[in-house]
Amino acid sequence: MTDIVEEIRQAYGRVGIALDRPATYGTYYRLLCGGCGKMVGNVGDRLLPDMAAELVERQFELYATGLLGCPCGHQREATRLLDAGRWEAAQRRQGGTP
Amino acid sequence: MTDVLPSEMTVIEDAERRGRTELWPFWRRVYAEGDPLPRFTPPADRPRQRFDEGDPLPDEYRSLLLKMLRHEGERAGNKSFLGFMATCLDLAEAIFPDATSRLIKAEYLAEELKHAIMFHRLAVGLERDFALKDVPYAHYAFHLPRETWADDAFFHFFVDLNGAFHARDWRESSYVPLAKMSATVERDELGHSEMGYYFLQRICADRRGKTLAQHLLGKWYPAALDMFGRSDSPNAPRFIGWGLKSVGNAEIRDAYKAYVNRKLVALGLDLPDERANRRFL
Repeated sequence: MTDIVEEIRQAYGRVGIALDRPATYGTYYRLLCGGCGKMVGNVGDRLLPDMAAELVERQFELYATGLLGCPCGHQREATRLLDAGRWEAAQRRQGGTP
Repeated sequence: MTDVLPSEMTVIEDAERRGRTELWPFWRRVYAEGDPLPRFTPPADRPRQRFDEGDPLPDEYRSLLLKMLRHEGERAGNKSFLGFMATCLDLAEAIFPDATSRLIKAEYLAEELKHAIMFHRLAVGLERDFALKDVPYAHYAFHLPRETWADDAFFHFFVDLNGAFHARDWRESSYVPLAKMSATVERDELGHSEMGYYFLQRICADRRGKTLAQHLLGKWYPAALDMFGRSDSPNAPRFIGWGLKSVGNAEIRDAYKAYVNRKLVALGLDLPDERANRRFL
């Protein structure tokens, strides 16, 4: 496993998304919901260093308000546990239900 | 009764005609309103040499041409390209919102596989070993996470449009087989970009969808501009000198930026700072 893939795994792990095994010749990976196992997207292994963490961090509000993530709500809950204050602020901004 | 069998491309063209719907292919309506893309004019003092399949090629010319084709990637013998197509199928199964969208995505895949055949023929005519060379996409734009239909729509709007702009430039290419293919590839790639834009229009029609799109634009916009490479690339003058490109990275990026900005504003989205999160200025 490359350093970049490990970065991706850790970045997504924080918001309750698991990196699956390589889907296609080791270049692309499925993203799976850490709660129910449903596929929620994919990602490639040629991101630049630190990019995965930055991208996931910038998407915190989207996971918190359910605009991104699995319909089962696992990422919404994971982000609430990660930073409750930021999570609640995101609900207020997006008009979501705390 | 005729003895003439249809060529493989005739068969593909017939299949494409039968696949036309009110929406697909998306390029039809755009070109019906006029030429959508800017013209790139080669420098007046550029040498007039042209090379066809089978012609002996100068070493530097061959090296630059292969570099360009490695970057392009759509070859039947490039297993990483086929792998990337498989990720599109995965997304179509997992996150697309309705059957019509999935069918449109299937048409997109079919058309990209047509390009894979066209570029395979070009590769075989150029250097047989290259035809089966595996070249994973190197640019990070091809590896950004796609976690929603809006991500995928932005990918097509931006990345396929990059392909259309380069294919437009190939009209003037000194490599004759590439120049011959350029109009078809340009048209199809512009159609794929329009497919992404069609999806974005639907997404932005809803308040939450527009919020999502505005947020994700901050991920895709810098990647899209970065795809044209550094403005001071030392290779650009060599490509232009050999007639493989007409203009430098900065000029084609500026034309692309003007095009996408106009379309993004029409969606009601705020344009990001063009230097924010950029990696290759």
